[in-house]
Amino acid sequence: MTAPVIPDYLHRMWETLPEGRIPAKIFNDPAVHTLEKQRLFSRAWVFLAHESEIPHPGDYVLRWIADLSVIVVRDEHGQVRAFRNACTHRGNQVCKAEMGNASHFRCSYHGWTFKNTGELIGVPYHREVYRGRLDRAEWGLRPVRIDTYGGLIFGTLDPNADPLDEYLGGFQFYLDFFLKPGPEGAEVYGPPERWVSDTDWKICAENFGGDGYHTPVAHQFGFALGFYPSSGRTHFMGYAVHIPGRGHCIGIGHTPGLPPFVGFPPEVVEGYMNALSPEQISVFRDARMSVATVFPNLSFLIQPFSLAPGQPGLKFCTMRLWHPRGPGKIEMWTWCLVPKHIPAELKHEIYRVYSLAFGAAGTFEQDDFENWTNLSRQHAAFNADSFELAYLQGLDLEPIADFPGPGRAFTPYVTEIGFRNLWGTWLNYLLTPLGEPVDPARVPPAFHPPETQPVAD
Amino acid sequence: MTEAVTRSSPTVDDLLLHHEISQFLYDEAALLVERRYDDWVELFTDDALYEVPIRVTRERGAAWEVSPTGRLFDDTKQTLAVRVARLNTEYAWAEDPPSRVRYYLSNIRVRPADQQDEYHVHYNVLIYRSRGELPEYELLSTQRTDLLRRTESGWRIARRTIIVDQSVLSVRNLSYFL
Repeated sequence: MTAPVIPDYLHRMWETLPEGRIPAKIFNDPAVHTLEKQRLFSRAWVFLAHESEIPHPGDYVLRWIADLSVIVVRDEHGQVRAFRNACTHRGNQVCKAEMGNASHFRCSYHGWTFKNTGELIGVPYHREVYRGRLDRAEWGLRPVRIDTYGGLIFGTLDPNADPLDEYLGGFQFYLDFFLKPGPEGAEVYGPPERWVSDTDWKICAENFGGDGYHTPVAHQFGFALGFYPSSGRTHFMGYAVHIPGRGHCIGIGHTPGLPPFVGFPPEVVEGYMNALSPEQISVFRDARMSVATVFPNLSFLIQPFSLAPGQPGLKFCTMRLWHPRGPGKIEMWTWCLVPKHIPAELKHEIYRVYSLAFGAAGTFEQDDFENWTNLSRQHAAFNADSFELAYLQGLDLEPIADFPGPGRAFTPYVTEIGFRNLWGTWLNYLLTPLGEPVDPARVPPAFHPPETQPVAD
Repeated sequence: MTEAVTRSSPTVDDLLLHHEISQFLYDEAALLVERRYDDWVELFTDDALYEVPIRVTRERGAAWEVSPTGRLFDDTKQTLAVRVARLNTEYAWAEDPPSRVRYYLSNIRVRPADQQDEYHVHYNVLIYRSRGELPEYELLSTQRTDLLRRTESGWRIARRTIIVDQSVLSVRNLSYFL
């Protein structure tokens, strides 16, 4: 691998981030994109698939870790595996379909054939042309290290990466709200919707880390048409939680006076009561909406919406992957997660509400991508490295002392503390050379409680 | 399709019907180009479905390439009306300034449906979108299948299914109608 080029402004960012200043250039820079591939996506746990996408032996999907194509497959014994989608002879892709079922993958170039366990079992003219020099056991598909949580399959290219549990660092407590709407969990509704847009993946990951600030403006139509019982006046209320040094963050919006679990059908409320701990229930019972990012680029959102203004809101859950395709270019992947245990008609009803709000045609997503595309374009400017963006919200907040969940929790929901931790974590990966451990304890502080601040005259 | 190549000579009624339906579809497309969304949505029957299934790259012979469940749009006349109401607010940022959209219709084939006065219409639509000052444009190649109903007040769309030829779309968003 060629020696990484580290733009100077990233070193400056390490100093300015704790003061709430971020250089705009990070959101559209070829050097940053390259560095992200070399030092972030090569070492982080990257989301690959939800287990419900490959329920049966032989089911597979094609996914990405940065620009590396990865086959995620359930083998004949039910074990989930992941491989680099490349024949070990010349590297041609052995799988060309997005999804399907296969016991074997056969390369269309010279015919090497691999079982869905990765084992190389077919080499044309093996004896005649290799004359004993090819040990098939050595030339199987190259495995990608995977681990799962709550139905999510993650992969990492770093053999020394912390175990997934440690990497999530307690964020599982919050992920359960999206993944466990019942003891049987959640499943995807249909295949993911995908589109490529001139938007940087990071601005999306940040937004879904809990940007409640944009909602009343970017999605003002929803308030104007009467979709929400909440008003702009109380919108900022709730909690923002992050896992220090790990980058994960969640925003939990509260509206005073709403009934518990409002917007969930009774079957789903019952599911939550059976699947979540009392501490988890105490955090999510009164949530109007919840929006979370698993570092680096997987997000979730639960919010209410309805098929017509004025109807009671129905809560849906979307899972999305902000896949980097280039500097300032994203491939968007979005799924709707539905509770496994509810009737098919209810799943469809939830999906219809989701698709009216999210996906390329979604009434919320449309405006988000308009904003994100336009700002990504701004940050390609030649001097965007000296254009500082204001990340000043909540600089002097103190964490809630007795919050029932892990991580650091703050109120109100609208704040930027989690984003400073997110970009500090990101920067830590980019500035830590390969071969050295990415130490979460090094990440600059995301907030300064009053006692640590210099006293003003 | 064997039927298509062995069909007997068209009658004058066939030609009139084809002409009538084509003109209806051109007029309908013009409403979208002119952003007359309120008039456009009235062309759907009250029980109309408007669906854009997700396209998936599958192996030859796979059970489906067009998702039976996943949708880009999973709409009824009522939800189309919500989208239109949104576009009519001052807050539809994705369409302010508005995109410039054009629809190129071709390969129109008309077949009688089961009900009297209903027809299946299959045709191709190439959709061009230009946005802002960007020299780049978006193109979507699609196949539409409509169920059209002749009513007292004219032709109405009872069902529209739009299949996009890309599995990964190259678009900023779909803030326009397909």
